[in-house]
Amino acid sequence: MEFRIATDELKKALHRAQGIVERKATMPILSNVLLTATKGGVSVTAFDLDIGVVSEHPAEVAKTGSLTLSAKTLLDIVSLLPEAGLTLKKLPNNYAELTCGNAHYKIVGMAPEEFPKLPKEDTANLVKISGSTLLEMIKKTQYAISTDETRYVLNGVFFEPREGGKVRMVATDGHRLALVERELVGDFKLKGGVIIPRKGLFELKRLLDEAPDAECQLGFAENSAVFKKPGLVMVMRLIDGQFPEYQRVIPKEGEKQLLVSRARVADALKRIALLSAEKSSAVRVSLSENLLRITANNPDLGEAKDDLDVAYRGASLTVGFNAKYLLDVLGALDGDEVTLELGDEHSPGVLHTPGDRSYTAVIMPMRVP
Amino acid sequence: MAWPRAIIHVDMDAFYASVEQRDRPELAGKPVIVGGHPTRGVVLAASYEVRPFGVRSAIPMARALKLAPQAIVVAPRFEAYVEASEAVFAVFETVTPLIEPLSLDEAFLDVSASQGLFGEPGAIAASLRDRIWEQTRLPSSAGIASVKFVAKIASDFAKPNGQKEVPPGEERAFLAPLPVSRLWGVGPKTEGQLKGLGLGTIGDVADKEEAWLSRKLGPLGRHLFELSHGRDERAVIPDRAAKSVGARDTFDEDVVGQDALSPHVHSQALRVARRLRKAGRKARVVHLALTYGDFTALTRQATLSEPTDDGQTLYRAALGLLGKLDLSRPVRLTGVSAHGLDGEAPQFELFDRKAPSKTERLNAALDRIAEKFGSKALSPADVLGDQEDEARAELRGRLGVRKHDAQD
Repeated sequence: MEFRIATDELKKALHRAQGIVERKATMPILSNVLLTATKGGVSVTAFDLDIGVVSEHPAEVAKTGSLTLSAKTLLDIVSLLPEAGLTLKKLPNNYAELTCGNAHYKIVGMAPEEFPKLPKEDTANLVKISGSTLLEMIKKTQYAISTDETRYVLNGVFFEPREGGKVRMVATDGHRLALVERELVGDFKLKGGVIIPRKGLFELKRLLDEAPDAECQLGFAENSAVFKKPGLVMVMRLIDGQFPEYQRVIPKEGEKQLLVSRARVADALKRIALLSAEKSSAVRVSLSENLLRITANNPDLGEAKDDLDVAYRGASLTVGFNAKYLLDVLGALDGDEVTLELGDEHSPGVLHTPGDRSYTAVIMPMRVP
Repeated sequence: MAWPRAIIHVDMDAFYASVEQRDRPELAGKPVIVGGHPTRGVVLAASYEVRPFGVRSAIPMARALKLAPQAIVVAPRFEAYVEASEAVFAVFETVTPLIEPLSLDEAFLDVSASQGLFGEPGAIAASLRDRIWEQTRLPSSAGIASVKFVAKIASDFAKPNGQKEVPPGEERAFLAPLPVSRLWGVGPKTEGQLKGLGLGTIGDVADKEEAWLSRKLGPLGRHLFELSHGRDERAVIPDRAAKSVGARDTFDEDVVGQDALSPHVHSQALRVARRLRKAGRKARVVHLALTYGDFTALTRQATLSEPTDDGQTLYRAALGLLGKLDLSRPVRLTGVSAHGLDGEAPQFELFDRKAPSKTERLNAALDRIAEKFGSKALSPADVLGDQEDEARAELRGRLGVRKHDAQD
């Protein structure tokens, strides 16, 4: 194997691999990327047994072949190279020789045969989708994914094709839930929905962020998801399990509804949460006629309160919330105004864009003493 | 001029009896006893009309009826008392967040920082009592002082339907003529001991040197010396900020042996657990406190494998600790307290994660019964005999409040 490639191209490939390669690998080869040179160019593969990314790049290939090298070492080297082009050549015993200008490296590698095979993706039924829509859906749900590994079915986003060319994505950590429904026309050939794991989703988001308007394809095969865009294939294993019946916990329209300024409420929450109990960010949200009051107190720090004028006529109410949960939603919503629906101190609060429930967030209260 | 520290002790006058007299006009001005079983129960409250006959709360019903056969006995209606109590505490909350409830009808309020807004402590107390009357039509009394202990005694002085102020610097003079039994931590035994030393009044104690008192009485000597001068550093601790929850009882007569002690410990564990559940908290550490007849005090602690709010779990842990102590000596006090409380405000779950355990369901049912019929309605068999000190302690348990304790 021997090829000449633009330094920036290889850097881009290694950046893509960065989030996937295992840092504390139980299998050392999972810390490596697989470099494969074919006539058409060079591909760089990273795989952690759950998520795999194959990134294809133009290169002048003098000799085809493959090799694996430490992803981190290679990225560190490539980041500091002096010139715009480099050559990489396989030496005996899985060594690699990297030359760039007068800089010269001999790098320890591992045999490509040891690199695990990625799941087959050619059976997937790929659907052309809008990358920017998928990106929006990820951004609007990812914060609600559970990080509690004992609740593994919640460690991902539920992807559920609906009627009328729409897809719903739902994430919850058991305390709050985010649901977004957008148009993603095409037949995914799914019965019900699938759960896309958190890590894979984050990588997908990074890839979409590179060029949201690029032509993208998404599909599902057996127990994995496949994402393709020009020069890139991503495969990931789905979470095997039953996503909870999320519809059950989304309240019907609440009786206590009010319109608030997204920015003003977010600012007030941030400044008041400074004095909330450590860790929990618990704040009290009190609603009375034309007044929304946010308070917090911490026996060790003191107490804080902020008042916002709102248009509200209805019963008074005080309910505790984790300010972080509210801020996550306010950050993910668009527009200047937000509709806030409340029940009582034990019932979930609901946030959405006024008149539009296609993106809905549900947050359970906390008991705030 | 604002007091550096201002504490008001508010105590409702003959609370249960007053509620009954308010709700049943035919009882107004009549001797009323609120109590349970006529032969085995204890007096929960006695109206002022029956007090001249020697009837007071916590004495056995049988004795009360011998003292005042003409009294009208009324069964307790806890819901009504809880409702009235909530209205009273709502008034407290208008002047300060620093409220330490002692029972349904009694609390300390730290109004030091409220003086700028609401005026002098005496004026605050007067306004509180006025508003309590307006809201509930129930009489209350208040003691105002710069320390808790003096405020509490002052409210007794003010009863019924009055208030008594002991300005800073006048504590010692106010306390001096009072009998030593008014000091916190002085029961009949210590009282006898002090009398033996020629100390009949608080002033007598204050006149002695601290070193002399310590020599004669041990650690208690220093404590009594401080109190006799009107010094009491204890802060008003609102329940939500409490770092521990405890229940302890000083027995009328010393108790010997595990069999006789364990029902008390059991009852204390159950009371603590009920308070934990009410506050929505769980404890990881159980303390058992025990004081022998000679005032040697011990504490032992055990750490639980997981936080709990279950009384039986607390009891088993406390019993394990009790078993390791010398129980052949007479014991005057036991106490169970829960520490290592999970302080996080609990987050409600979107999905019901799991069905509540059998124990959780049982506790919830017991709590509902206690809420409705009073916590004497259902007790473990061994706790049944433990009625005397239960009566008031129970009420504390219902509200989830601390018992004052001089030794703490």
